[in-house]
Amino acid sequence: MKNFLTLSVTSFIFSVVLWVLWHFLDSHVLFLAGKGGFFYLPHAARVLCIVYFGYRAIPALYLGELVGPYVLEAGLYSFSTLIPSLISVMSVPFALSFLNMLGFTLGETRTSPLNRRNYKHIFLITFISAGFNALIVNLYMSRNNLSFPNAMTDIEQVYRFLIGDLLGTIIVFIFLAMLLIPVLRQARS
Amino acid sequence: MREFYKNINDALAMLDGLEKDLNLRHLTPNELKVFYTIIVRSECNKFGSNISDIVENSGMSRSTVYKTLKKLSLEGIIQLHQSEEDGRESLVILNN
Repeated sequence: MKNFLTLSVTSFIFSVVLWVLWHFLDSHVLFLAGKGGFFYLPHAARVLCIVYFGYRAIPALYLGELVGPYVLEAGLYSFSTLIPSLISVMSVPFALSFLNMLGFTLGETRTSPLNRRNYKHIFLITFISAGFNALIVNLYMSRNNLSFPNAMTDIEQVYRFLIGDLLGTIIVFIFLAMLLIPVLRQARS
Repeated sequence: MREFYKNINDALAMLDGLEKDLNLRHLTPNELKVFYTIIVRSECNKFGSNISDIVENSGMSRSTVYKTLKKLSLEGIIQLHQSEEDGRESLVILNN
């Protein structure tokens, strides 16, 4: 129970912080304004938390997804994001299940078909989950005639979602690698 | 809690592998800070950032910035060019 609480709080804070950072860059940084769709940072929280904490992180991540458009910047979208957010969070378990079906089970040793200590394997999960997210969310939006402000729900948006989730996750991973590893090394020495 | 720390440790191992392959392992935290500042400044100015800007934005001392620039230049990560507008100023350009 204590572990569930710790991982839930960590996942929630990580997700909200990335959303706030992404929203700030998208709306306040001049040369990035309006281009936030091409570097969606919060996808990194979905991937990292579900891969490392397991499916128990899903409720906290879902709550984190909803805090941005419902609490911090209420009225940002003109439609309910309850279902699109759930699909986005579930895109990572979909990707893991898909890989599992193909025989690539997630493990933590070098002999595991999918090793969670290997960043290339994590990028593969990111790529597949970004694909699921792009396809299913846009399918849902187009079936219900929904669209984001100043954007159309079309094939370009599918491509933007895919690129955005991939680039956003890569940026967060590189940032974390550059930030955490030297600090840890300095603390150890 | 032990399981939580083990999960975090696995995530750090993944990030460690990424940092190793990015070949930034040999830079100290101060040098990394200067390097990130160069990357951020290069987004704002495609023709190169001047050293005073890098000193100001990195929060590092001028001597640390100069030492880091020399190291990055020797490793071929950046190039130093004399500014056409001000001959006393050097411009830092990231190598592709």
